[in-house]
Amino acid sequence: MEFVKKLQESIEKHSDHNVLCINGAFHTYKEFALEISKIRAAVVNAVEDSEKLIGLVTNDDLQTYAGIVALWLEGKAYVPVNPDVPFERNAKVFELTETKYVIDSSESTDYNNYKVIASKGLVDAEINLVLKEFSGDQLAYILFTSGTTGLPKGVPITFDNVQALVGAIDAEPTFDLVPSDRCLQMFELTFDFSVVTYLFPLLAGSCMYTIPKGAIKYFYIFKLINEEKLTVLTMVPSIINYLRPYFGEINAPDVRYCSFGGGALHDEIAKEWSDCLPNCKIFNYYGPTEFTVYSGFYPYHKETDTKSHNGIIAIGTPQKDTLYLVVNENNEEVAIGETGELCLGGPQITPGYWKNEERNAQSFFTRKENDKNIRYYKTGDLCLKDEEGDFLYVGRADFQVKIRGYRVELAEIEFHAKSRSDKKVNMVALDITNSLGNAELGLAIESEEFDTEYIFDHMKKMMPSYMIPMHVRFIKEFPHSINGKIDRKELKKHFNIS
Amino acid sequence: MNREEILSKVRTAFISVLEHENFQLSNETTANDVDGWESITHMMIITEVEKAFSIKFKLMDLMNMNNVGDLINSIESELQA
Repeated sequence: MEFVKKLQESIEKHSDHNVLCINGAFHTYKEFALEISKIRAAVVNAVEDSEKLIGLVTNDDLQTYAGIVALWLEGKAYVPVNPDVPFERNAKVFELTETKYVIDSSESTDYNNYKVIASKGLVDAEINLVLKEFSGDQLAYILFTSGTTGLPKGVPITFDNVQALVGAIDAEPTFDLVPSDRCLQMFELTFDFSVVTYLFPLLAGSCMYTIPKGAIKYFYIFKLINEEKLTVLTMVPSIINYLRPYFGEINAPDVRYCSFGGGALHDEIAKEWSDCLPNCKIFNYYGPTEFTVYSGFYPYHKETDTKSHNGIIAIGTPQKDTLYLVVNENNEEVAIGETGELCLGGPQITPGYWKNEERNAQSFFTRKENDKNIRYYKTGDLCLKDEEGDFLYVGRADFQVKIRGYRVELAEIEFHAKSRSDKKVNMVALDITNSLGNAELGLAIESEEFDTEYIFDHMKKMMPSYMIPMHVRFIKEFPHSINGKIDRKELKKHFNIS
Repeated sequence: MNREEILSKVRTAFISVLEHENFQLSNETTANDVDGWESITHMMIITEVEKAFSIKFKLMDLMNMNNVGDLINSIESELQA
């Protein structure tokens, strides 16, 4: 597997460089190589060869990152679980994937019912980064996203998928990391965007800067930009929405690249942000978890490249080997300028949702093009293609929303709220835009007011914190549209949060 | 305005953002001590506090704000400015 081999070479070559800065403490590639080798030895020792999916508790430390590389050298996949997410949900993930082994660097583990490899304090091992032979259709990771039925949805990604992503980014001459780069790694490792924020710095021998748990993310990022002189930023747009009131105080000439993804980037704020980064190239990336992080980008420039639709910056063109197709409800291609659902084809496409045939039948289809069968993933995003071949984002086709970059199915929130409620009343989860233009979750309840604390306690047990509604409103009677559907637009007006 | 008066106004801002009152605020209180106080609500609290006192914090101060005591210090210095 070429990219894992390249990882090995980069880690060996840059042994005296820093790989990670965590909470102010620097770690070198040499230390990293040692941690990888220790975890790898423990995995080889404890885990039978046939066991391919290994749990990984995503702490913010050197061992957790080393765990990923150790598993990859052995041709195994990591199944990440966030220690801040309710145990029930993480246990569900391990149940669905039949995970028996968990790599956990925590002081004391919550996973006593599993075979735990405690990655902190392992015995010394000889450095061994030589990768094993394995086939590219093996899984590299499985990530779980919000699902409509209350069960999280697994997206498996193979080594071939990741290789195709690396190949596509390598083919892009305008983005080229170097060992002296200092890169922001703000993402939790259960979030697919993290794959590009750790993998590309590792391949280049650059240093990553993480956000300590408990820190106020937005200000910590600014602190890193300001004090550590970061050169590469990869972020979700909500970060700059929250920093916007302070743009006047930000001037970061060291930043070379700023990549956005995981949500709509608006043109006004992009321009203002661009003024804060005088020497920076801005990329607006697009891509779902199902297509291995990135599928393409638009190179934004505040003067020359500002293409947008309804104020949302274009998502540009597909990257190397990726195909974009905009279709109608019969999966037929629509004309240029017409809105339809964006579908993605090419080597980065997931083999399909984990053990979910029903969902796979809905979300994937095959189309004959030039005598070849091309498999497409239906993104649920509405887009159009313009005369110049650029793709423009229009909106979502369903009830999925993005909260701080995380994909959330509103139905999953409603499911957990209703299933616990003693009162059998109608509840609707809504995404509401606050005064800074960020989406927040609200829960509308069709009832006289009652105590919802136990419902919220239950939701907090079942879902990660970003999925918990921040606002509750009781409405005696829900507004309905002419065709009898609950009028969500009208309901949103009850949430005056700006 | 003395620190106690400031604290009481700050508490009102917290309640309005967090939509609950199950917390106590002292100089040493951090985000870990208050249910719902995290990155996102922190930004909302800051906006709410700025409105309540008619002040505007500097990013440099916000960057090094680690507990309620720091917050009150910043409010005091902004009020004097």
